[in-house]
Amino acid sequence: MAYRVGIDIGGTFTDIALVDAAGTVSIRKVASTPDDYSRGIADGLATLIGELGIAPAEISAIVHATTVATNTILEFKGARTGLVTTRGFRDVLELRRLRIPVLYDLQYDKPPPLVPRQRRLEISERMRPDGTVRVPLDEAEVHNAAQRFRAAGIESVAISYLHAYANPEHEIRTEAILREELGDGVYITRGSEILPEIREYERTSTAVVNAYVGPVIRSYADALAGRLAAIGVTAPIEMMHSGGGIMRLAASVKRAASLVESGPAAGVIACARLVRGEGRGANIISFDMGGTTAKAALIEKGEAARTDEYEVGAGINLSSKLVKGGGYPIKMPFIDVSEIGAGGGSLVALDRQGRVTVGPESAGAMPGPVAYGRGGTRATLTDVFVTLGYINDTTLAGGSIAVDAEGARAALRTQIAEPLGQDLLTTARGVLTLAISTMTRAVKAVSTYRGRDPRDFSLVAFGGNGPVVAADIAAALGIRHIIVPVAAGVFSGSGLLRSDVEQEFVQPLLADTVAISPAMLADLNAELSIRARAALAADAYDAASAEFRYSADLRYFGQAYELNIADRTGEVADLVEGFHTEHERTYGHRSSADPVQLVNLRLTVRVPVASEIVRYAPAPDFERRDRLVAFGATPVMTPVIGREALGLSLRPGPFIIEDYDCTCVIPPNASARLDAAGNIEIEVSQP
Amino acid sequence: MSRVDPITLEVIRNGLASIADEMALIVMRSAYSPVVRDIMDYSTALCDPQGRVIAQGLTLPIQLCSFPRVMRFIEQKFGADLSPGDVLITNDPYSAGGQHLPDIYVIKPIFQGTALAGYAATVAHHTDLGGIVPGSVAIYATEIQQEGLRLPLLKLYAAGEPNATLFELIQSNTRQPVEVLGDLRAQIAACTTAERGLLQLVERYGAAELALYVEALHAHAEQMMRDTIRELPNGVYVGEDYLDGIGEAPEPIRIRATVTVMDDSIDIDFEGTSGQVAASINCPISLPESAAFTAIRCLSRRDIPNCDGYLKPITVRAPEGCLLNPVYPAACGARGVVGYRVFDTIMRALAQVVPERAIAGSEGGPFLMAAGGTYQGRQYVLNEMLVGTWGARADRDGIEAISNPAANLSNQPIEMIEAEMPVEVLRYGFVTDSGGAGRHRGGLAFTREFRFLQPTGFNLRGDRRDHPPYGLEGGGTGGPSAHVHIGADGSEKLLPTMPMRGFAAASGDVFRLVGAGGGGYGDALEREPERVLADVVAEKVSIDGAARDYGVVIGDDLRLDLGATQSLGAARRAGVAR
Repeated sequence: MAYRVGIDIGGTFTDIALVDAAGTVSIRKVASTPDDYSRGIADGLATLIGELGIAPAEISAIVHATTVATNTILEFKGARTGLVTTRGFRDVLELRRLRIPVLYDLQYDKPPPLVPRQRRLEISERMRPDGTVRVPLDEAEVHNAAQRFRAAGIESVAISYLHAYANPEHEIRTEAILREELGDGVYITRGSEILPEIREYERTSTAVVNAYVGPVIRSYADALAGRLAAIGVTAPIEMMHSGGGIMRLAASVKRAASLVESGPAAGVIACARLVRGEGRGANIISFDMGGTTAKAALIEKGEAARTDEYEVGAGINLSSKLVKGGGYPIKMPFIDVSEIGAGGGSLVALDRQGRVTVGPESAGAMPGPVAYGRGGTRATLTDVFVTLGYINDTTLAGGSIAVDAEGARAALRTQIAEPLGQDLLTTARGVLTLAISTMTRAVKAVSTYRGRDPRDFSLVAFGGNGPVVAADIAAALGIRHIIVPVAAGVFSGSGLLRSDVEQEFVQPLLADTVAISPAMLADLNAELSIRARAALAADAYDAASAEFRYSADLRYFGQAYELNIADRTGEVADLVEGFHTEHERTYGHRSSADPVQLVNLRLTVRVPVASEIVRYAPAPDFERRDRLVAFGATPVMTPVIGREALGLSLRPGPFIIEDYDCTCVIPPNASARLDAAGNIEIEVSQP
Repeated sequence: MSRVDPITLEVIRNGLASIADEMALIVMRSAYSPVVRDIMDYSTALCDPQGRVIAQGLTLPIQLCSFPRVMRFIEQKFGADLSPGDVLITNDPYSAGGQHLPDIYVIKPIFQGTALAGYAATVAHHTDLGGIVPGSVAIYATEIQQEGLRLPLLKLYAAGEPNATLFELIQSNTRQPVEVLGDLRAQIAACTTAERGLLQLVERYGAAELALYVEALHAHAEQMMRDTIRELPNGVYVGEDYLDGIGEAPEPIRIRATVTVMDDSIDIDFEGTSGQVAASINCPISLPESAAFTAIRCLSRRDIPNCDGYLKPITVRAPEGCLLNPVYPAACGARGVVGYRVFDTIMRALAQVVPERAIAGSEGGPFLMAAGGTYQGRQYVLNEMLVGTWGARADRDGIEAISNPAANLSNQPIEMIEAEMPVEVLRYGFVTDSGGAGRHRGGLAFTREFRFLQPTGFNLRGDRRDHPPYGLEGGGTGGPSAHVHIGADGSEKLLPTMPMRGFAAASGDVFRLVGAGGGGYGDALEREPERVLADVVAEKVSIDGAARDYGVVIGDDLRLDLGATQSLGAARRAGVAR
């Protein structure tokens, strides 16, 4: 029998999901091994297949999501990187876009550039915006640069010349010279290859991030493949990229920056799969809350919303293009995940003015919340959940973790309640309300900020803590319907198994739409198609089964930001009309008389490889006890049941559903039932 | 206030802030002109029914405090004569509290039923509103009538109906009608979004409850500002700084601030400041007020809510007819630089008592370069507003490549400029040795060079050449700015910082703008030689500069000569080798 395996690495746990040909999924959580993640993966997988009696050779695919790229940047552990630029522009990387994400703070410091100034070298060359050469490439200078890089022990080089999106010739030649001079050991990224789009800083930054993480991903890929081979698993390895598709491990090594939101993307894709083809609830907002962050994404008609700009290392990402400058921009397709620093491990504290704050600082996996008894002493959101009775106050994860409820309450009482002069429960309720309001900003960032009314959407809640707060989040935003999927606590891992191969190809155009003939559009799209087929063939994917989706980025002449419009007919006029409509929907007005510019053509290719998930193998059972839960000022005795005890008809709250992998809270203003597939559906009544 | 729950207060504060940020995002993403969409010279705010600011978008500090004054004019002019669907517009400094004509305010009263629930307010720098130069900022204008279209406080929409006459009038008075109308639509869209957001809050909490919390926010902000001021010793502190002055033979223009700290309030009096001038750098009072509030707020080191309450403990006064309170019809198009100098002046006054909270001189505010003409059958305007440097702080270096602390402006992508206009950018980077020396070094100046690809008229407004950014506690001044016109034959000509005329560039001519460097903090001889070496390695300080400015001897092999450094340092301290 053939098995596919999804592996999702988190800060604390590595989730392994294994699906057989019949669609039955088995799940394991094993401790992550941050010193060498591949060790935890290989050990965990070996144990799992040993228990299930599966031979390593029966595994036909490994699909993987990792936080390695993100952590490399957050911890500044990337390669020793050099940058070559057009003469006069080596400081573009450090000049950035000048803006910073805070006001009135004279103690501010900018994030340091990933390539320091002495390793940014300038080369005489110049392209014009139309792609013609104004200054030929000075090859002798490139040779000199290579020598300087060699002397400096450079492991990775980014090449980014002005207007290289219009003509990459100089960059290609530069790469060839550097390759010849520096050998195959040095990792090289070309701006025009990684991002053939206008705007020098964004392209340079993307190339530099890629160069910075590339060698790390390359070693990681080698280690992973080696460890798996050592346990006899030689199946091809695929990686989830931030755009929500999967790609060959070798391809991900070349586009390393695309792995930055690998894990969160997997969860969103799982949500999209969950509702695709269903009329009901096909417009959803995914809500994923783990230990350190809460993440939200918008899914309309079964398709996840995307963005083409992301800043990694910015602390929080509200997918807000306004709060810029705190991190390292990557311009690539991203599932538009809005992430905010509020998770179960978020510290609850009082600031200098005596105001309560929740996060973004986190107790992490170690020392963790006070309740977990691993040495944590500062109150966290998890301790608030325990105090309120939202989560089990004796054990978690089916009895595998003992909960120190008294310690949790004491920490909250002495650190927060007493300084505020409030009683414990009032404080805990208040902190929860504040955390909810913080997390709703993540949801708003993907809905109201984009002109969508959250009340028109269902919420799909998952991750270890998502289902704990989902009903409160929904109530705060006026959302009436929530879905908590089966195995919600390890949903991202199963999302990997439900993902298809997906790649995007871009053709910059920057032309007035009235000047684009039908033949021209058809020709350009045909060229994209040829490029895409060549890429699929190179990765040994089946192009015959691939789905090709054409789209275009349009804007009114003069605007700087485009809207992406699907090309369903191949007619320019339909693209333009689609743009007017989308502009009105997003910004509230249209300007039908204004000229419309077509900036890029895009082709997204999807090769279906996803597994159908039919059922989950049973998880270990454990004992559940009713408990007091403080939904308001007075705690009430609340039934605690297993998911299977919930029927197909609505059961009014309050009650709590405890699963092996997560807890789902149904407050008094909500009721819940199971659907035919075993998902929990929650109806929230509005005050 | 006993009914105010601190957590609900925080929830409401976040709710209001997210509406103001959302407004800012909508403006940026749907605006047409590079000034708004790339440089981000605009601001957004929400006001309560009394017109007091209750939240601001993450935009320009120095623009934000002008809303209160505009709101007072709205109250005076329209009072109860506002209805749902109205949208107000103005840009006028003299009749409506504006700052200069390019800054158009679009403000929408928000009604719940018939009751006024608040205002959505935006202000954006429009790319051109007519007048004698493209971009409408001619430093040599002498009366406001020369600067473009003056819009008194008017209704752009009345009860939802557009004022077609006004739209036509605006359209026919700009060189860039598509951009200006597009940016106005973006402002209106932001107001409409804010309306929806604020009404949701009103529905959730009820108007009375929300009002109670808004009062609490004002009170909270006021309290925090009073706490800040109480930390400053009582006393009278005088700060002075200078603008280089106008024309070929500039006379320095003085800004003088007498800052009186009395318990929990501050009075700032600009008596002693130079008089208004026959050039467009006269600065209507709303900008000095804004700059003064911004400076005090930066010194507070507290996360004060962005609402009106924090303004209460601060009073600002300027004699009528002085540069900071000009009398009609003084021109004011290029007044922005003065606001930044007011910020510097107050910083210098208070650095005498709280140097550990202050910042040495930054680049001095945006350097303006506007060029325009016809390209590919269309009128274009290149509006550059370049910022880039912070001075040093008590515990750390300044920053190169950052917006002035009183602004939060961005830079235009070079590739976008070149794709849309007959201009080529030859260089954008740092200037070695331009950071003021000190125990903590000032940020480096930036330089940007433009080559004109066809004959082009351009005009300028800079500063900080004769009076470069100040150092603090013994730190050196930052490098001076420069405007250099380079002919096709390579000949270089230094242009005035505030020239009283425009210039003509031949095809192939180059204009080089060099910003000012940030001031240093503390004695440069106390800077650790390793940090000087790191700057030399990064080519931010030259080997000569290290010896000259820091007394640190570094060989051509980039090795620190500690022995020579010690003797040079000792000689410097003894005053021998200067």
